[in-house]
Amino acid sequence: MLVALGAAALVTFPYWSAPWASRFATTLLRDALILAIFALSLDLLVGRAGMPSLGHAAFFGGGAYAAGIAGQQLATDQLPVTLGAAALVGAVLALVIGVLVVRSEGIFFLMLTLALAQIVFAIAFQWTAVTGGSNGLSGIGRPMLASIDFSSPDLMYVLVAVTFVLAALVVWGLARSPYGRALIGVRENERRMRALGYDTARLRLSAFVIAGTIAGIAGALSAYSTRFVSAQDAGLGNSVRAFVTVLVGGAGTLGGPIVGSAVVSLIERVVPSILPTDLRISEALLGLVFIGFVLFARQGMAGLGRSAWLRVSRR
Amino acid sequence: MSPELVFQQALNGLSFGALLFILASGLSLVFGMMDVVNLAHGAFYMLGAYVALSVVQATGSFWLALLVAPFALGLLGFVLEPLLLRRLRGRHLDQVLLTIGVSLVIVDVIGQVWGREVRSLSAPAGLDGSVTLIGGVYPVYRLFVMAFGVALAAAMGIVYRRTRIGMLIRAGVQDAEMLGALGVDTNRLFASTFAAGAALAGLAGVIAAPVFGVQPGMDTDPGLLYSLVVVVVGGLGTLSGAVAGSVLVGPADTFGKVLFQDVALAVIFAIVALVLLLRPTGLLGRIRIAR
Repeated sequence: MLVALGAAALVTFPYWSAPWASRFATTLLRDALILAIFALSLDLLVGRAGMPSLGHAAFFGGGAYAAGIAGQQLATDQLPVTLGAAALVGAVLALVIGVLVVRSEGIFFLMLTLALAQIVFAIAFQWTAVTGGSNGLSGIGRPMLASIDFSSPDLMYVLVAVTFVLAALVVWGLARSPYGRALIGVRENERRMRALGYDTARLRLSAFVIAGTIAGIAGALSAYSTRFVSAQDAGLGNSVRAFVTVLVGGAGTLGGPIVGSAVVSLIERVVPSILPTDLRISEALLGLVFIGFVLFARQGMAGLGRSAWLRVSRR
Repeated sequence: MSPELVFQQALNGLSFGALLFILASGLSLVFGMMDVVNLAHGAFYMLGAYVALSVVQATGSFWLALLVAPFALGLLGFVLEPLLLRRLRGRHLDQVLLTIGVSLVIVDVIGQVWGREVRSLSAPAGLDGSVTLIGGVYPVYRLFVMAFGVALAAAMGIVYRRTRIGMLIRAGVQDAEMLGALGVDTNRLFASTFAAGAALAGLAGVIAAPVFGVQPGMDTDPGLLYSLVVVVVGGLGTLSGAVAGSVLVGPADTFGKVLFQDVALAVIFAIVALVLLLRPTGLLGRIRIAR
């Protein structure tokens, strides 16, 4: 009930906030929600299945390009087609990379996802005929559902917020399902899970593909929001951004990736507007915050909140 | 392709391979000793190139830069290891995550200090010309890179096998904990190893600058990406693995770029995939990267 009310408030934000909030707030929240979808999908791997992927941007970027290119090549602006293409490309890329990486763990998993995802970036960056190469892909169509055009800022926000709510429900549902429990089992003790008769490689691969699919959809929303796809969307920087978001928020928690995306958006978008314009150090700031969390609060904001709550409730 | 072109590209590939060896050997050394994949290795490489840029601007001497940049990076590594990594000793994955943060900070600080434009560094006098080889002229500097890589590999091989430092490194790679139990100061050993890895990255940055330029993004490509590919293909933590990986990846990448242009990285992808499927330890490694 509370969740439903919260979701309704979130989705209608531009309409009730109009008297006091600026357009900037809607845009900021929209981009934070796209990051949150992206981070939620990554947390399925990092937090649940214990698969520290540093290549998640390949699927985000793949989805962004897929939505843009499908719209142009198929001459359609219909969201079911373009978002479907984004989800499909995210899934297929995740399947191809996943087959190679699910046999690795820990540091090796991280290295391999990084290296293989960077190849997706390089193809996006170099294959100018299809992706626009270093110029990026512009001329993204309008997001249309039947005859409704979602390209106005307010409706674009609503589209993102609705997708976010759906994605959160899917991820949370998966996390609580027997499937989600099995993923945690794989993280905690893979050998025992195998002994119990689980096909752990298949479990890990399926998680990788699901996460890739959702990341692809997040990428498509980003493409529609900015009307542009840059090769950087598929690059290491974006993978790192998602990873930092998950860890700062708290890996393996329901709310962590969402809190993390708020923190990261704040650092990326709000802090630079306070600092002098010739000081562009938001990445460095993000790096320092990340180092701080890894050293002193590995459980992220969610962990900090939980221990603060325990301290208060024990009194 | 004409035979002359094949020959030229083979030279290009080998000189790229030599550079990759300088770059990847540091990553491999740190991993071998500390079980940490330093994801700031590309940022160290980039910083080495920019420090060289400043040294050359201030003094005009490339050779001085070749000394100063690795030294500066070594110092940075020597400070960073106790400051950050040591706090999480034993938690290897978290240590790797720390290096991601370090990389973000270094790359942004470079952008702030040196600017975000593409810069260039010319080869030092005497090496900036070209020579006539079979079928055409060839830049001397690329031959120098090749010779430098081979000399470094040989020197490292001698240090590994014939010196006390090399003995400590080999013992540490086998079992650092046992080495500590035998009375070796592992804190100093780890800090020195991390410093040496950073210095090698800085060295690679200087050597690469006249050929591959000095620009934003070099921390990832070629920096981190190629050094990871080399150690995955060659095998982690061994000197011979770094040699094998470089000699294979350098030419493969160069010919890939000539033959397939737009999708050249698919060649690297294919090599990584093939190695992972057929030899999960890499060609000459001891550690299984995949099951």
